[in-house]
Amino acid sequence: MVEDNSAPETLLEAWMKSATRFWDSMAKAWTGPLSASETPKPPGGAHESRARESMGSTLRMWQTISSTMIEPGAMDSLFQGINALPEVLTKTAQTGWEKFFAFQRQWFERAGKIGERTEAYKFDNLDQDAFRAWAEIYEEEFRKFLNVPQLGLTRAYQERMGRFTDRFNLFQGAMAQFIYLLYLPMEKSFKVMQERLEALSREKQLPENSQDYYRMWVKILEGHFMTLFKSSEYTQVLGKTLSAMEDFMVAKNEMLQDFVQMLPVPTQKDMDGLYKELYFLKRRVKQLEKSSRQ
Amino acid sequence: MAEPKIPIDLILKRLSEDADKAQTRAQKASEVLIAPLDTEIASTPYDVVYEEDRVKLKHYNRAAPSPDEGLKTPLLVVYALINRETMLDLQPGRSVVHSFLESGIDLYMVDWGYPSRKDRFLTIDDHVNGYMDNMVDFILEKHNLTQINLMGICMGGTFCVIYSALHPKKIKNLITTVTPTNFDTDQGLLHIWMKDVDVDRMVDAFGNIPADLMNFGFLLLNPARLMIDKYVGFSENMDNKTFVENFVRMEKWIFDSPDVPGETFRQFVKDCYHKNLLIQNKMEVGGERVDLRKITMPLLNFYGQYDHLVPPGACDLLTSKVGSKDTEDICLDTGHIGIYVSSKCQKEFAPKIARWLRERDEEKERTSGKKTKRGKTRTSLKKAKGSIT
Repeated sequence: MVEDNSAPETLLEAWMKSATRFWDSMAKAWTGPLSASETPKPPGGAHESRARESMGSTLRMWQTISSTMIEPGAMDSLFQGINALPEVLTKTAQTGWEKFFAFQRQWFERAGKIGERTEAYKFDNLDQDAFRAWAEIYEEEFRKFLNVPQLGLTRAYQERMGRFTDRFNLFQGAMAQFIYLLYLPMEKSFKVMQERLEALSREKQLPENSQDYYRMWVKILEGHFMTLFKSSEYTQVLGKTLSAMEDFMVAKNEMLQDFVQMLPVPTQKDMDGLYKELYFLKRRVKQLEKSSRQ
Repeated sequence: MAEPKIPIDLILKRLSEDADKAQTRAQKASEVLIAPLDTEIASTPYDVVYEEDRVKLKHYNRAAPSPDEGLKTPLLVVYALINRETMLDLQPGRSVVHSFLESGIDLYMVDWGYPSRKDRFLTIDDHVNGYMDNMVDFILEKHNLTQINLMGICMGGTFCVIYSALHPKKIKNLITTVTPTNFDTDQGLLHIWMKDVDVDRMVDAFGNIPADLMNFGFLLLNPARLMIDKYVGFSENMDNKTFVENFVRMEKWIFDSPDVPGETFRQFVKDCYHKNLLIQNKMEVGGERVDLRKITMPLLNFYGQYDHLVPPGACDLLTSKVGSKDTEDICLDTGHIGIYVSSKCQKEFAPKIARWLRERDEEKERTSGKKTKRGKTRTSLKKAKGSIT
């Protein structure tokens, strides 16, 4: 019968024996010179002896462990544990991969949805829909990742950081839409100006002075701005931009507060509390002063 | 090949003809701009006679008029919390302050200063029943009087209306200029936009309302004129030293804006722009209801026909709501700032106020305590019309 050298028990036993021999020789080599020849103590003195002692003790510990592991009983109990290990590892890995693939699948699905959403809007011509599309994609798809519940000791800080990023993105989106809206009258005024010049040219009444061209354009532009400003769409976008800016300001202050708190300076929150107290105190003093005069 | 619809060559030819003129102008302009310029504003001398927190009371030095020339009752001018009172003394020859002093008015003016974050909790009550009342008391005591004349500008005018309703005994004559009291109007964009402003969110986010934010809002009321045309006008006249000096003075004033205390702004927007409580006698300040019927002193009410910030509709209801029998509305053919700085209004605005005050200042002596019977009048001054009568 051929001995199965590839069996894990045999392999480990051989490795353990060789390890024991190794640590044994190491221990001897380390401590050898001290016992073989009484060499004078190195200049390090007591300090170096302690280091040598500590190393020797570590080597002896490894030697003991190796010797113990060679004992058949110890090896059997170890192998019982090792045999169970691959099963545990496989199960753990399997569960992990399954979760990972599920997560990845969700991401792909979301990415697919992004395509579905944007298809409904026209990106070839930059118009209002582009801003709506971006806002929708951000709010429906990306935003939720910033709102994932934070855990642990630093959860509140992480939450504030996430909120700051979120509010910043929303503010940028709203601002872009607002600025675009402000640009629209400019675009329209050029178009109307072109039409008017065509008409004047047909009637051979083109202005002589460049000033007249400018005045004509600025009047058209003013008219378009007024029409825009009176529209409910503008009021809505203005309100949305202001709200986004205010939310961003609050989130920014909350986040900065965390950083300032680490410095030896009072925070805005501290100061506001103090100002409020001071305000009421002053008010009270002034009232008392006034009533005492009367 | 189709003929181009717009004769670009012709337009470019005309533009190039003007380019020569522009080049000459630019050359001269560079000389003007690098030379020393007199752009000082608010140069009329004054003394700070009272100080409380950030607020100062300015007293202008009258050119020592003879006893019959000067008005006996001093005038306290209250500016808005937005921008600064220096607008009334912007440049030589266009200074309401100077005109008042020339007319013999003993002039006091409130300088609200620059609110800092610690002022964010100050309310309308603190401004009206606190600072304003203390300053009125100071002037009364200094001159040994029981009443003074009060004049308000824009939001400062609203404060004066509230003050006069709450302390009618201390005010002899009231003058309101471009003063919003009726906020339920769609005449001005500001009134339309303010209705949708979430003021709580704004004040909670900013504390005080930043001046730059407000200035940006004001520029947006007419960007074509205020952000483009104004500077095109400047470029066309920048070879004119006087024009440049006056333009820079105006720029200095317009962008020298203090922040507005948060709680005051909150109450002003909520009670006035959102609920329009003042004109309905429903507004409460310092726990007391502001009843416009208690304004029984003579009232002179100025506003601008083309005011895009405080349109006529926001101003012209006041005289019909107060208890006074002696009221006068004057609608000038100008805008919000033009009333104080346009050369045409310089001839109409300050002299009219001085005349109106003088008539009522001398009245008591002439009639031995009995007041002359006056009614309610309304004057609209269009370009074609002459000076105010």
